[in-house]
This record gives sequence, structure tokens and C-alpha cells, in this order.
Amino acid sequence: MLVTWRYKERKSIIQYFDPRAWIIFYICFIASTVFFWDLRFLSVFFVMAILIVIFSRIGWKEMSRGWIFIGAFIVFFSMLTFLTGRGGMELYTTEHLIRNVNFPFSIFGWQPVMHISWEKTFYAFSMILRVFSLASMTILLPYSLNPALYGIIFKGLGMPDKFAYGMDLTMRFIPTFGRDFQLTRDAQKARGYELEKINGGLLKQVRKLAPLMVPVTIHAIASSEDIIDAMDLRAFGIGKRTWIQVLQYQKRDYWLIALSLLMLFLVIAFSLFGIGKFWVPAGLIS
Amino acid sequence: MKNKTLSIFLALVAVVVVFIAIWQIGKIFNPDLDLDETALLRFVFVGVGLLLAFLVYLATSKHKMWEVGTREVVYMAIGAALYAIFSYLFNGTVFVVPSVSQVSLRPAIAIPMFFGYAFGPVVGLFTGAVGNMFGDALTGFGLSPQWSVGNGLVGFIAGLSWLFSDKKKGINTVLLISAVLTAIATAYYLMNPGQANTLFYDVDNGIFGDAQITLMAGISVVIGFVLVLLVRFVFGKNVDVAAAVTWSMLGNLIGMGFAAISDIWINGYSPAVAVVGEFIPSAGPNLIFAAILVPLLVSAFSASRRQTGR
Repeated sequence: MLVTWRYKERKSIIQYFDPRAWIIFYICFIASTVFFWDLRFLSVFFVMAILIVIFSRIGWKEMSRGWIFIGAFIVFFSMLTFLTGRGGMELYTTEHLIRNVNFPFSIFGWQPVMHISWEKTFYAFSMILRVFSLASMTILLPYSLNPALYGIIFKGLGMPDKFAYGMDLTMRFIPTFGRDFQLTRDAQKARGYELEKINGGLLKQVRKLAPLMVPVTIHAIASSEDIIDAMDLRAFGIGKRTWIQVLQYQKRDYWLIALSLLMLFLVIAFSLFGIGKFWVPAGLIS
Repeated sequence: MKNKTLSIFLALVAVVVVFIAIWQIGKIFNPDLDLDETALLRFVFVGVGLLLAFLVYLATSKHKMWEVGTREVVYMAIGAALYAIFSYLFNGTVFVVPSVSQVSLRPAIAIPMFFGYAFGPVVGLFTGAVGNMFGDALTGFGLSPQWSVGNGLVGFIAGLSWLFSDKKKGINTVLLISAVLTAIATAYYLMNPGQANTLFYDVDNGIFGDAQITLMAGISVVIGFVLVLLVRFVFGKNVDVAAAVTWSMLGNLIGMGFAAISDIWINGYSPAVAVVGEFIPSAGPNLIFAAILVPLLVSAFSASRRQTGR
């Protein structure tokens, strides 16, 4: 049995466009965001992401779990970057100290000191904007793309029939296997298996993951026979495939695709000229 | 088909021409212009990785392992979905899986290895590459397509075991190549033991990929290699298990090696950082999983096949 994502028809900005056009926009957006470390450029993408989230018309109740996960993730990353500046080392070489914070406690006689610098602060902000833009755009997709259209979307993007259908099945299987995993975990827990208390040596720990992974995998393969039979009965892969739904580009879709490609192209041109690298206001560090 | 290949080739040429044009025009405005292509390179390396797989395909295109039927399409989808789910669950944000001496547990890698070995290289490539992509999307991680392709190569090479109709023949060659690769990586570690383990995070203790690599993590590739060797000889009678672990090992070494080495150009790492800080901490633990989980999966799969008679 397949479990589905929580798609439903909405009057949202995403469903206003052809799904293929939206996927092209999504890919261009993600690729463009990755090129930048400059807070000013990143905030443009951040604002775009926020607007799209608002106009996606997906209620908070539907998405709250996803957002809580993203929130935790962003906090984790910003802590990570702010406390250490890790990853920033490749982007800036000198740091300008704002102040040193001495922690009021000491661990084994060693008193931790936190060096807060302009670079670290700006790097942390840039990181938050980046991660938020990337993650929020991704989280909207399963709520807004009609599962019945997955195959034709990938086909429309130029993939061969079989791989387009493979992508379709992959996206449909993910929530199903997520549920299977939880069922398996509960079943094993009822038999006394404790994932929370994995201890022992390295090999022992690895061995203990098998009661989760092996049943889920083998069950997935065994139960796929039904799907294979169903596809074979409909003569899958014998001739040129036709799809029951037809997607047609409207004028607005061409505009969206053109703008996305233009955005990506500009961003690549910028980055080739070295614009959009890490930025700290010159006034702060002089 | 010919036309399609030609048009793809022409499109690639056009892209290159455009970038050279931008560069030249830019020089008119600003004579000391430095071309900064690092961000673009990660997409270039995706092409390089896929090209490698394509060349192998061209060399052996007559073999029946390249046929993609209904069965393969369903298996590649299952593999990719499982890989995405497991890497999402075990990435440390959902289940906190402990790590021993900087060897963190990422057991999901057994999935592309097993699917590649059991169902052929095309299924393996799809499982690794697409599964990793969806896994990253689920987690909200940034975009590192070169690692997706690296993961794809893991499954792809595990599937190349189908090239040898006599499975025993392939095993020894593969072991030899893997031994050489292991020796090179470990020698690199012994020459640069002071490198940081860029893949090891421990937020509670304030370690963010900057801790010096431990001896245990440094020689983890050797540990993995020895484990694989043990499995190969202890279960020597079961050719399936022996072939699965050895080919998974080779796939892991080459796939992770590809991704780590491409980071030399993409992230501007020095070869020492790429090999000691990235390749060893990713390939070593993966090998340990290959040695333990892949045999379990292979034997469970053959048992379930016997039971259902397929």
C-alpha cells in the first residue's frame, strides 16, 4: 500500500504555474543561492523564499512538523557557524574582534573564551539565510506537486521514459518506506530491541542496526512483486510510453522559465567575475 | 538517438563558448580580472563522474546487465527511496547514532552497495545518485552534487561484478586493486597524521570538523579492508557474499575517492585534506558497514528468494 504526501489542490503561486516550469525555477533558485556568500545577495533570495512560502497557501498546521525540523536544523547550523566560524575559514582570512566573552564557568580549570568577530557574525547570518532559502523551497514541493503528475513532469524535463517513471516511483516510495520503517521499529521494540541504547564496540553497534535495515529492505523488495506484475500487465516499457495527463505550457510558464534561466545565467556571470563572495561592511572592520 | 547525442554535444560546446566570451568581454572592462570558477566546478564534476560511467557502458555495451526492464525500474526506485529514508533517519538529527572514536555511523551506504550488486550497475547508479539527492533534500543540507555522483559510482561499481560470469575470477583482481588503493590512502595518512577530520561533528563537546583525526579513524580504511578480507575467506564457500563485499569495497573506494578528490578543485582543499580529512573518514566507516551489513542483506535476500521461488 502506498502512503502519499499531503498534496491537495490549492490556489497557490506554485500551482499557478506548470509543474515543469516550477521545477526548472526551483533548480535555478537552488543553484543560484549556492553561488553566493554575500549577505546582500542572499537576502534577495531570502525575501523571495519568504514570499513564496506565504503565497504557497499551505496552512501552518499542515507544515508545522516540517518547519520545526527546519527550525532545529537552522539553529543547529547557526550555532555551529557562530561558535566556531567553521567553514568560514575558506572565505575570510583575517578576523576583526568585537569582543571576547569569557564564560563564567570553567571545565577542569580551563576557562572557555568565545571570540566574537564581525566575520563570524556575518558568516552566521549568511548561513542562516542560505539554509532557510534552500530548505523552505524544498519543503513546499511535496505539498504542491500533484503525485499523479510526477512521471510526466520528469518526462517533460527531458528524461527517458523509464527513468522518469523511476523518479516517479522513488518519490512515491519515500513516504511509504518511512511508515514501514516506523512499523518495523515498533515491532522490534515490542520484541525488546532498544535503538536508544546502542552501545558496545564499533562492530557490535553496526551489527545492532541490522534488525532495522534488513527487514525494511527485504520487505520492500518482496512486496515490489505486485507493482512489477501490475506494470508488466500494462506492458510497461514495450513501446513508446504515453501519459494519461497532458501538461501544456501557458504563456506565464515561458516567462517563469525565461526569468529563472536569466537569473541563473546572471548569477553565474557574477560569480565568474568574483562578485557575491563573502562580505562584511567595510565601515565595521576598518 | 544519434541526433540527440549530437544536440547534447552542441549544447555543451555552446555553454563553453558563452563562458569564454564572458571572460573575454570581462577582460575589456577589467584587465586584471580573475576568473572564479569554483562554484561552477561542482557541476562540471558531475559531468566527469557520469562520463566515467558512460565510458564503461560503451566498452561493454553488449552485456545483458545494461538492459533496463520493468523489474530494474522498480528496483532502482525502491533502492533510491530506501537510501534517501535511511540517510535522512541516521544523519544525526532524527536518531542520534553514536560514534566511536570519530568513526561516525552512516549505515545507509549499504543500500546502494547491495542494490548495485544484486540488480546491476544501472540500478546501483540510480540508487546511489538519486537516493543521495533526495536524502539531502529531505535533510535540507546544501547542494553537493559531486557527492551524489560519488555515491552513484559506489552502486555502479558494485554492480560491475556482473561483468564476470565466473564470480570467483573477479574477486581476486578486485581485492588486489582495493589493497593498492587502501595502501595509498593509509600511507597518505601516515605522512600527514596531523590533519583535521573534516567530517566529524560533536556539538556537545564543541567539535565541528576541526578535531585532529584519531589513529582509529585514520586507519579505519585498513580496518575495513581487513574485515572485508575476513568475510571473503570465512564465507569463502558462499561466493555471493564474498563477491558482494569485495565489489562493494572497490565501489566505495573509487566512489568516495572521486568525490573527495574533486573537492581539491571545488573547495580548494589540499590533497592532504581531501585524502586524510575527507576520503578516509568517509570511506573507512563505509567499508566497515560494507563488511557487516552487505553480507546480511545478501543472505537475507537469497533466503527470501528461495522462499518465494523467484
